[in-house]
Amino acid sequence: MEKHQPCELSCKLNSACDCIHILRSMVEVMGARVGMDDVQINRMVLAVDELFANINKHGYKGSCGTIELNAELGHDALKFVFRDYAPPIENPDDLQGRDIEQVRPGGLGLHLIDAVMDEFHHQAMSDGNRWVLVRYLKGEDSK
Amino acid sequence: MKIEINEQRKDASCVHLAVIGEVNIHTSPDLRERLKPLLNAGHKEIHIDLSGVNFMDSAGIATLVEGLQWSRSTGGRFVLSGLTENVHDVFSLSKLDTVFEISEDSESA
Repeated sequence: MEKHQPCELSCKLNSACDCIHILRSMVEVMGARVGMDDVQINRMVLAVDELFANINKHGYKGSCGTIELNAELGHDALKFVFRDYAPPIENPDDLQGRDIEQVRPGGLGLHLIDAVMDEFHHQAMSDGNRWVLVRYLKGEDSK
Repeated sequence: MKIEINEQRKDASCVHLAVIGEVNIHTSPDLRERLKPLLNAGHKEIHIDLSGVNFMDSAGIATLVEGLQWSRSTGGRFVLSGLTENVHDVFSLSKLDTVFEISEDSESA
């Protein structure tokens, strides 16, 4: 794989809008630069889409709110940092997805993020939440 | 964003739905609305052709899980077909690829 140059993309979105195309574009640009295949890029798109949807649904309760996304391509990892201004989530239990073995609708989003990304962190801020998704670029086949 | 859903009734008990577009949190309610009357009508076989779907998120998966459960509760078949590589990958990540009846050939479904 050719060595890529670190780069960064940022955007500020309305949580209530359908932003999948914007998110997809950002992920595709980053993924293409490191030579990810279509399935791997789709997984990244899925992860950022799921987190965006979760913030909208559970953080902003479906109403309008600001979501900032910063995508950082480093030498060893691809990092997506989301920032929202919804009520801070103080209880980690609120971030648990449902048991994957249960076959029922709903609750899959967090599981999918966890399955796709190498790191998934949440930080409660005084005025909202910060979310970090990291995908290592070494060992592409590990996920 | 919208999805296109084309319905074809093969006979009185079998319905074929071909879905085209992205099935996500914004479009899955449309799919659910199309599925609901079919399930309520007691069709014994519902086939969902996903060959025209290039992206599906957890909301789309949830809609299909709902359809599967509803169908099973009435003793019917709920078959998915024509899954693209990306959509099949999402089912695998969700560990649902062995739960659904999945046909590779969208024509036979």
